[in-house]
Parts: sequence; structure tokens; C-alpha cells
Amino acid sequence: MEKVLEQGNFRQSMSWLHTWGGLVAGWVLFCIFLTGAIGVFDDDITHWMNPEQKQTAVVDPASLTQSERAAMVEMGQRYLQEVMPEGHFWAIGLPSEDHPVIRLFWQDMQENPGAQLLDPLKGEPLPAEQNRQTEGGHHFVHMHFELHAGQAGIWLVGFFTMIMLVALVSGIIIHRRIFKDFFTLRFSKGQRSWLDAHNVSSVITLPFQLMIAYTGLAVFVAVYMPAAMYVNYQNPEDFFSELFEEPPHQAETGIKAEVVSLTNILLQGEQLLGRPASFVTVEHPGDSSARARVFGLFDPDEAFGKLVSQGSGRAMFNATNGQLMHHRMPGQVIDNPAYSAQQIMRRLHFANYGGYTVRWLYFLLGLAGAVMIASGSILFMVKRRQKSLNEFGRQTARVYRGIEALNIAAITGLAIACIGFFWINRLLPLDVDIRAVREIQLFFLLWFGTFLHAVLRPALSAWREQLLLFASLCLLLPILNWITTGDQLISYIVNSDWRAAGVELAALLLGLLALYSVRHLRQRQARQQADCPTRATIQAQRGIS
Amino acid sequence: MHMTLPYPARIALLILAAIIGGYVFTSAAMIFFSAILPMSRTGVLVMTALLSFVVYCAAIIWVFAVRDVGRAWLGLLLPSIPMLVIGIWLTETV
Repeated sequence: MEKVLEQGNFRQSMSWLHTWGGLVAGWVLFCIFLTGAIGVFDDDITHWMNPEQKQTAVVDPASLTQSERAAMVEMGQRYLQEVMPEGHFWAIGLPSEDHPVIRLFWQDMQENPGAQLLDPLKGEPLPAEQNRQTEGGHHFVHMHFELHAGQAGIWLVGFFTMIMLVALVSGIIIHRRIFKDFFTLRFSKGQRSWLDAHNVSSVITLPFQLMIAYTGLAVFVAVYMPAAMYVNYQNPEDFFSELFEEPPHQAETGIKAEVVSLTNILLQGEQLLGRPASFVTVEHPGDSSARARVFGLFDPDEAFGKLVSQGSGRAMFNATNGQLMHHRMPGQVIDNPAYSAQQIMRRLHFANYGGYTVRWLYFLLGLAGAVMIASGSILFMVKRRQKSLNEFGRQTARVYRGIEALNIAAITGLAIACIGFFWINRLLPLDVDIRAVREIQLFFLLWFGTFLHAVLRPALSAWREQLLLFASLCLLLPILNWITTGDQLISYIVNSDWRAAGVELAALLLGLLALYSVRHLRQRQARQQADCPTRATIQAQRGIS
Repeated sequence: MHMTLPYPARIALLILAAIIGGYVFTSAAMIFFSAILPMSRTGVLVMTALLSFVVYCAAIIWVFAVRDVGRAWLGLLLPSIPMLVIGIWLTETV
């Protein structure tokens, strides 16, 4: 290793960087890729995870009248006024196709979040049996960009994405025969097959992997690269208000002032924007600096196929006297090419510019990225299972065992936790306190369980057993759903509820794929033992020790 | 410098040069170019920040191409100082 890093040539040092950077970042990157690929279908998963909402819907969100929306905003404001008259933030979401209820969100002075769903006709909190409290598909999106760790998580994901970018570039440098290997995939050849799998999945999808890593960094560019912004502005808020051509941000004054009726603000905002509103928010409610915003309803048809986001329009009001302060019409684009470039990268990353075709494409390419990362991590160990490279002196065997266990838990273990989240959603009782949080805690508990299993079992058995568990959880999901909610895959298809059917069909497909891998793994082991008992025994011992 | 340090320490310092030294260099370049390029202030800030990931990535690759702790740290910090001083001075005076 010493020779390689400081005395080798350029390509050898890039190989060192690719191997070790890839190994260290691989576990987290696999998680980012797998949850990101699943998160492409976040709304569809949320739809599957909340079967009661659809059944008990009392309003049709598409045909609400303006006075109905006004009444709902009033009910929302009344509730928020009671729960938290003074705080950092209020938001009232009007019923949408995915959420046919009133959704309230708030943050107290310390910015601790709260949320409540209201019945859109009565304005009362929704009873537990009508609402399965769940993060739904957003759980996967949150794992993807912040690992459920807030600002620290955003930084961690950025750090590992940067390593991914370096690993991609160093991978291209060390890859001499990039075009020839495009056509090379040798099955059942042990280490060579893993290298080929890694090369093929990387080379074919390379443009996507570069794009997705770079645009991912660009989404949070103001978080990751703020140095020049801080040299130019005392307060980041001033930068954003100048960028968005809005009145400057106003800090809290400490002078109490009540929020005026949001109903009038909604009516004014909708009139101005010429379309129904989706959200009404208030910044600093209870303070004299309070501002209300009305956001226009997003129209997916209008945004279809467009990379420069058109915007659904928004209007800003002084929330203590109801006066209009600023507005931007739907379709009005900010005249700033650099900002447009950032917006394009953002839309490229979010995969919502081209309907289900683009979503499926991103899902498959994201999974290919996960395969690229996983095959790299597995290749690292397959190479060393056959011949130890002694990088860690006398500790080498122990370090290898640790790496193997982390590989198993990070790859098959996470896959189990992800499909397990669907099971948790169906099995956890509806009246559990802070149910949405408990679902996520159980997800992490399950994941930790797979790590313990990987530590305690011999490596090859652990791989096989976890794959088998994953396959069973996938294949039995439709049956679990049938038993717990009475919904069947067949009836989803008959009623052409393709969003719910898609979730279960994808699970069935992935389950079959996992079963196939288990069979393949078992056959190869058997063949190796028959061909060459001594080598296989040595390998098995290495895998165990 | 690298001859006197044990191997793990040299590797650690090299990795730190890539992560921290590279980030300092990238930030300095961002501050410098956003001060001298003739664009709107918000525009140039967004543009340099978007391009900074390329600079950071190149800086990290360069550190591992050089593979010498002393040269890596000096090579990143020496150009950073004038870029920072001139960049901040131009921003404050305009």
C-alpha cells in the first residue's frame, strides 16, 4: 500500500483513491441511491401507505369552490390560533388529490415542528382510524437527502456525494479499456464477474451517475458552498430576497400583533394569481413582522416537459393589516441565467418533469447506481477473500470481517429495512402515540438487527439468509396488505388504481429477482465445492474467520 | 517533511489536505472570481457556487496526484491567500 500511494504512477494513485474512497463512502452512497430510487415514487408509496384516507374522503379536491377553500382556511387559522398563537411559522395546506384533508404544519419559537390533519368539512382533528399517521414515501426521500439527521444529515450526504464525484472521476482515469469493457460481461466467473458487473453498471449509466451526483450537490449549493455569499451579504436572507426580487427579509420585532383573517388574504391572492391556492403560510405569527404568503396550485400538465420551472405564482402580504407587499405571477421566470441553471439542475434531480416515463427511468438508473456501488464494495472483499493483501498488518483478518459485515448490513440489510417499512406501516396499530415517528424508529431498529445478524453469522450464510428474508418480505407483501386492510392486488388492478398496484407489482418483481440470486449463489457454492474441495474449504474458512 | 512522519500520519495529512485544504482553496477561488467577473451580484454568486464543485473535485484529484503532504498543503494554501485578500478587498470596496 505504501508503494502504491507514494511511489506508484498517477494511475496507481488514482486506483488507491478509487478503492478506498469508494469503500468508505460506498455504504452510505448505497443507502442514498437505494432510498433515492425508491423515493422517486414517494407520492405513490404514500398513497399505498394511507388506504384509509381515500376511503373516508369527504370532499373532492378537484371541484372545491372558492368559498369552500376560504372556509377551510378559516378553520385552519382557528385551530392554529388556539394551538400556537405566537411562533415561528404556520402553514395551511388545502385538500389535494393525494391528501383530501386540511393539513396544518407549524414551528414554535425554537422552530420545533408540529402537524395536524383536520376534517375538511367540520374542521376537527381527524380521528386515528381515518388517518394512518405515516411519513409514507417521504420517509425514503428524507433518508435520501438527510438520513433523518437534519442539517447534519444534509452535510453528511453532501460530503459523501463529493466522494462519489471524486470516485467517478478517478474511476474513469483508471479505466483504460472503457469502450471495450462496455461489451464485456462474463457470468459465473467469480471475481471477474464482479469486476465486469461493476464496469458495465458504471460505464453504461455513467452520464446519469455524474448528472445525479452533480445536480444533487447543486440542490443544496447555498448550504455547501456559502463562502462568497457570506463575504457579500451580512445575512443570507438578504441574498435570497435580492435573488428572488422580493422585499428584504424582516427579523422579529418582539412587538405583539395579531394575524388578520387569512380568508381575505386567500381571496385576494387567488384573485391576483388567477388560480386556486394550494397553501397559505404565515411567517412569525403573533409578531408585528408577520408576513402571509399565498401559493398558487401547481399544475403538472403546465410543467410537463419543461426544465426551467415556470412557477405556480405566489403573493406576499403583511399579515397584520392584510396589505399586498409583493407577488409573482404563475409562469413568471426570474431573469437570472445562473439561477435558471440551478433550477434546471434541481428539476433534473427531482425527476418530476416528465411523468411516469421519467420516473421509471430514474428508478431503474438509480438502482443501476446502487448496483454499481454494491458490486464495487463486494468486489473489494471478493478480491481479498481469495488473497489477503495485508493492508492492516496483524489486524487484517479482523478488519476484513468487519468490512464484510458492514457490506452485508449496508446492502441486503438496508433492502430488508426498506421493504420492512411497508410491513411496519401495515402492522403498527393506528392509535399508537406519535405513530409516524415510531414507524421510522422501527425501520432503524430492523436495519440494526440485520447488522447484528451479519456480525454473528458466517459471511456467505448471512448474505443468503438476508436475501431470502428480503425475497419473502417482498413476495408476501400483497398477502399482508390483503389480511390487514382487505385491499387486494387484483382489486387494485380491476379498479385501475395503478399507483397502489405498482407498489406491489414492483415488490413482487424485486422479490423474484432476490430469489433468483439466492439460487444462483447456492449453485455456485455447490459447484465450487465439487470442483475444488480444498480451495472452497479455504475460502469458506476465510469467510468465517 | 514526509520523510520524518510515519506512514499513517502522512496518509491522514494528505486526506485532510484534500478535504480541508481543497475546500479552503475552492472557497477562496469562489470569492475571488465572484469579485472580478462582470455580472450581476446574485448571478455571479450562484454561478461560481455551482461551478465550485468542479474546482473542489479537481483539487482533491490533484492532491492525490501529487502525493506529497508538504507540496499538497502549500500548493492549495499559497494561492488561496492572495485570492482571499484581493477577493474580499474588492468586494468590500465596490
